[in-house]
Amino acid sequence: MERIKPHLPWITLVALIAVVGIANPAFLSPASFIVLTADVVPLFVMALGMTFAVYIGGIDLSVQQLANLVTVIATVYLMDFGIGVAVLCIFAGAGFGALSGFVTSRLYVPSFVSTLAMGFVALSAARWLSGQRALHMDAEQRDASFGWMFENTAGIPNELIIAGVLLAVCWFLQTRTTFGRSLKAVGAGELAAVASGINVDRVKILAFALSGALAAISGLVFSVKLSGGDANLANGFLLLAIVAVLVGGTPLTGGVGGVVNTAIGTLIVMVIRVAMVYLEVDATQQQMVFGIVLIVAIALTIDRSKLKIVK
Amino acid sequence: MRGHLTRETLLKWAPLFVLGVLLLAFPVFEMTNAWAKGKDHIYLLDSRFLSIRNFARIAIAAAPALMVAIGVTFIIIMGSIDLSMEGTVSVTAVVFAYAFIAMGATLASWAWLALPLALVVGAAVGLMTGLVHVKLKIPSFMASLAMGFVGTGFALLLTGGDRVRVEDPLFRSLLTERWLNFPIMIYVAGAFLLIAWFIQTRTTLGRNFYAVGGGEELAIASGLNVNKVRILGFTLAGICYGMGGLLAVGKIGIAETVTGANFMFVSITAVVVGGTALWGGIGGVFNTLTGVLIVFVINNGMVVIGLPSYIQSAVLGILVIAAVILSTDRKSVSFVK
Amino acid sequence: MYELQNVDKRFPGVHALKAVDFKVNRGEIVGLVGENGAGKSTLMKIIYGAYQPDGGVIAIDGRTVRFQNPRQAMDHGIGMVFQEQSLITNLTVMENIFLGFEQQFVRFGVIDWKAMTEAARHQLAKVKLDIDPATVTSKLSFAQRQLVELAKVLTLEERIDGDLVILLDEPTSVLAREEVELLFTIVRELTNRASFIFVSHRMDEVLELSSRIYVMKDGEVVDVVSHDEAEIDAIQRKMVGRDVDKQYYREQKQKPYDADKVLLSLKNASMGGKYRDISLDLHAGEVLCLVGTEGSGREAILRTIFGIERPDTGVLTIKGDKIARFSPQKGVACGIGYLPRERKIEGIVAGMNVYENMTLSQMGNFASLGVLHIGREKALAEEQVRSLAIKTPDIYKDCGGLSGGNQQKVVLAKWRSGGSDILLMDHPTRGLDIGAKEDVYDTIRDMSDAGAGIILVADTLEEAIGLSHNIIVLKDGEVQKHFAGAPGSKPSLYDLVHHMI
Repeated sequence: MERIKPHLPWITLVALIAVVGIANPAFLSPASFIVLTADVVPLFVMALGMTFAVYIGGIDLSVQQLANLVTVIATVYLMDFGIGVAVLCIFAGAGFGALSGFVTSRLYVPSFVSTLAMGFVALSAARWLSGQRALHMDAEQRDASFGWMFENTAGIPNELIIAGVLLAVCWFLQTRTTFGRSLKAVGAGELAAVASGINVDRVKILAFALSGALAAISGLVFSVKLSGGDANLANGFLLLAIVAVLVGGTPLTGGVGGVVNTAIGTLIVMVIRVAMVYLEVDATQQQMVFGIVLIVAIALTIDRSKLKIVK
Repeated sequence: MRGHLTRETLLKWAPLFVLGVLLLAFPVFEMTNAWAKGKDHIYLLDSRFLSIRNFARIAIAAAPALMVAIGVTFIIIMGSIDLSMEGTVSVTAVVFAYAFIAMGATLASWAWLALPLALVVGAAVGLMTGLVHVKLKIPSFMASLAMGFVGTGFALLLTGGDRVRVEDPLFRSLLTERWLNFPIMIYVAGAFLLIAWFIQTRTTLGRNFYAVGGGEELAIASGLNVNKVRILGFTLAGICYGMGGLLAVGKIGIAETVTGANFMFVSITAVVVGGTALWGGIGGVFNTLTGVLIVFVINNGMVVIGLPSYIQSAVLGILVIAAVILSTDRKSVSFVK
Repeated sequence: MYELQNVDKRFPGVHALKAVDFKVNRGEIVGLVGENGAGKSTLMKIIYGAYQPDGGVIAIDGRTVRFQNPRQAMDHGIGMVFQEQSLITNLTVMENIFLGFEQQFVRFGVIDWKAMTEAARHQLAKVKLDIDPATVTSKLSFAQRQLVELAKVLTLEERIDGDLVILLDEPTSVLAREEVELLFTIVRELTNRASFIFVSHRMDEVLELSSRIYVMKDGEVVDVVSHDEAEIDAIQRKMVGRDVDKQYYREQKQKPYDADKVLLSLKNASMGGKYRDISLDLHAGEVLCLVGTEGSGREAILRTIFGIERPDTGVLTIKGDKIARFSPQKGVACGIGYLPRERKIEGIVAGMNVYENMTLSQMGNFASLGVLHIGREKALAEEQVRSLAIKTPDIYKDCGGLSGGNQQKVVLAKWRSGGSDILLMDHPTRGLDIGAKEDVYDTIRDMSDAGAGIILVADTLEEAIGLSHNIIVLKDGEVQKHFAGAPGSKPSLYDLVHHMI
C-alpha cells in the first residue's frame, strides 16, 4: 500500500478513462482526445503556476484575476506590439505575482490573503484598462501574431506543444535546480531551510512570480483563443485550477507532489467533465455530479501519510 | 511586561481602529471635496456617508455576509477552512423558496416552517461537509471546496437555472418594515450575532473550537473528541450559512443558483480583516462583525464619495493587506505562507 | 496495586516490549530509565492507554483491565504528565485543566465559569501555584506550565475513587534546579494520594526521587534496583551494556586551541529582555561552552551569532569581517553552522531525503548556473553516511523517518561537509542515546582538532565541563564568570552551579 500511494493519481486517471471508455467507446478515439486536451491548455497552464505556490505550502488565489487582466492587456496592446505583447503580459503577471510574494514573505500576510488582495487589485486594473467593456481583437492582427498557436505540428496542436514545453521547463526547474530544491525545503520545513542559510524570502517571491507568469500565459492563450479580452473572461478558472493541483496529489501542506502531478490532475478534471457529456448526464446535474466525483477522487488519491492531523 | 500588554491591547483593537479611521476618513473626504468646490458652509450633518439612511444601507448589504462570515469564523478558529458557503447558501435559499411557496407562500400560513427548514438544510449540508472531512480524512480545504460544487450543483438541479421569486409581503417586511430606521433583518442579524457570541463564550462546543485550533494533538491527548467538535463545527457553520441564505432572499426577494455567489471571498476576507488568524485559536464573532463592517463600509464609502467603481476592488485589496499587517503580531509568528 | 505481567508489544519489524513485568505499589515513586529505543515510551503508552499490549495482563488491585484509549485509562485513575508542553497556549489555565471534562460545569448548556474558576483554584492549590485560573496559558513560564499540567492530571483525584497512578515523562527537562526541587517536594507530598512513575534522562534526579528504579534495555526490564542500592555508574552500565568511564567526554582527546587565531568575536552585544553586554571570543580549535539555566540567554546568544535574531547593540566580527546585517544566509556564507535544539524543526527537513538534507546549506557547491549535479550530491551523502556511521537503509530515505541520533548526524554532516569552521551547537545530544552521544562527542573532538571553533550549549553540566576548553557562566542574560578547562584542571560542578543560581 505504501509503495503505490504516490502512483494513485495516475492510476485513478487511467481507471477513469477506462470506465468512461467502456461505457462509451467513442471517448477513446485519439483524435477527439487530443482536441479535448488542447481545450484545457489554459486551465493546465494556470494550474501549473498554482503548483509552485502550493508546493511551498501557500496558495495563489490571484491567478484568475491575473489571467483576466492579461486578456485585457493582450487585446488592448496587440495592435501596438504584435507578438511582443506576450512579453508584456508575462511581465505583468510575474510582477503581480512577485508583489504577492513580497507581501507574503516580507509583510507576514498569509498568501491566502495576500493573493486574494492582489487579485482584487488586478481586477481593478483590468476593469480600468478595459473601460469595463468586453473587448475584441483585430482578427487579422491576431492571426498574424498568434495564428500559429492553433496550427498543428505533426498532427499535434501547437497549443498542446506549448503546454508540453512549459511542463518540461517547470519539471526541470522543480527537480534539477537549486531553486526547485529550495522550493521543496521551504514547503516541507521552512524553519530548517532558514537555518540552512537559504534565502527563503527570495524563494517565495520567485515562486509566486512564477505562478503569476504562468497565469499570464494562461490568460494570453485563452484570450487569443476567444479573440478578445474582458475583466471577467477567465472567471471560473480559479477553483478548477486548485482542484487540478490537489487532485493531482500536491497537498496544501507543501513539499510533496509537483508539476507532473498537476498535469495528471488537470487530465482527471478534464476526463470527469468530458465524461459527463459522453455519458449524457443532464446539464443541470453536471455540477453536482462533478462535486461528488471530485470527493471520491480526492478521497482515493490523497496521500494521508504526510498529514499528521487533518485540518 | 507593560509594553507587552499595550502591544497586545493594540493588536486586539487594531481592527476596530481601522473601522474607526474609515468611518472618519469618508466624511473628511466628503468635506474636503465640498470645500474644494467652494461651498460656503460645511457641516458634518451634510455628510451623505454619515447618515442613518446610509448606515442602514451598509447594514442591509452586510447582514447576509455577516451570517456567513460568523459561520466560517468558527471553522477558522478551529484552524480549518470552509469554502462550501456559496453552495450551501444557494441550496438553503432555493430550498427555502420552494418550500415556502409550496406550503402557502405567506408567513401567515404553515409556510413559516420553511424558515426552520432552511436552517435544517444548512445544518445537513454542513454535517455532510464535516463528515466528508472527518470520516474520509480529507483536509477541510478540499472537502469543503468539493462540497461547494455539490451544493451549487444541487441548487442548479432544483431550479434548472430558473429564478424563484418570494413575494410574500410579510416575509419581505424583513427588508421593508423599519424599526428606528433600520429594517427588521438588521435586528434579526443582530440577534443571531448574539446567539453566536453566546455559543462562542458560554458553551463547551464554543470553547472547544479554541482548543482544537490552539493544539489539536494536545486536545486529543486530553480526551477531547476532536472529530465530534469538527463535525459539529461544520454543522453549526451550515446553520449560519442557512441564516445567510434566508437573509439574502429576504434582501432581494429572489432565490436562485447564484444567490450564494461571491460570499466565499467576502466572508473569508472579512474574518481575516477582523483579526481572526487563519492558523486558528484566536479571534471570534465580534472580530468578524468588525471585519464585515470594514469591508462593507469601504464598498459603500467609495460609492458615496464618488470614486470610479473600478478602483473599489483595488482599494479593498490594499486595505485587506493593511488590516492584516496591522493585526499580525510578527514576533509571535515564525513564518507565514 | 498497579501491575503489568508479561506484557508484550510488537510493531512491524520490532519487538518493542518483551515480557515486561512492572509493578507500582500504593504511594510509591517508581523510576524508569533506559536508553532511547529501550522501550520506555512504548511501555508508558501502554500504561496510559495509547497502545494496547499484544500479550500479557494489566491488573489493578488484582483485577484485569484493558484500555482502548487514554480516556479509559484516566477513568481507572491513570494520568500522564507529558514531556512536551501539552497545554494549549491560547486557552486559559482553567480551560486547560478541565479540557474534555467541562460537562461537570455545564448548567442547561451553559458553562458556569465561576464554578470552573473555583474548581481550578482548588486544583492549583494542590501544586502550590498561586495564579489566576483565568490567565491565558501562553503568559506562564515553563515551570508554571509544568505545574499546571500536574494540576490537570490531579483532577483525577476528584473523578476517581480508587488509587491514582501518575506518569511523569521527563518533567524536569525545561526546569531550573530550584524549580525541580519544588516539583519534587510536591510530588513527595502527593504520594499519600497517588503513586508516580518517573521517567527521566537525568540519572541523579531519578535516584533522588524514586524508591525503586526499573532499568530497561532492548525492550526488556534488565534490573530493578531499590533506592538504597542504586548507583549511577552501575545503572548506566546496565542501560548501555558496557562501561561508561571517565573517557566518556573524550577528555583525553582534548588538545590546546590556537589562541592567536580568533575566528569570531562578539563585543558588547545586548538584546532587550534576552541578554546584556555580552562579549566573547572564539578561537580556532576551541570548544567554548555557555552555561546557565533556562532563560539565561544561552540560546539567544547562539541564535544572534547565527543571524536568526538581531541584537539591539553590539558588534560581531567573523574572521576579521564586521557583520552589518545579521541573517542566517550571511552566517552560513561566513562558514557558521548551527545545530539547533529543535532538531526536527530547524535541523532537518522532514520530507526530504538524506542527500537533499546534507546539501541544503551548500547547494551552490553542487550546482552550476543553478542546475544541480545530483550525482555528486549522492556521492557526498554516501561518503558521509559511511564516515559518521549513519544508520539509514539508503540515502533516499526520508530524514523525518530516521532516529534522533541519526538525524543529528545528518545535520552534523551537512555542516562538516560544507566546510563550516564555526559550529554553534544547542543541546546537540538532547534526547540521544548513549551510543549516539559518544559519536557526537567524537565528531566534536575531530572537528575541533581540525581547527573548527565550537560554541556549545550543553545538555548537562557534566557534558559542558567534559567537552570544553573554556566556559562562560551566564545568569539572567549577563556573564557571571569565565572558567578555563584544560584537561586535569577542569572546574567542578559546584563551581559552575554556584555562579548560575
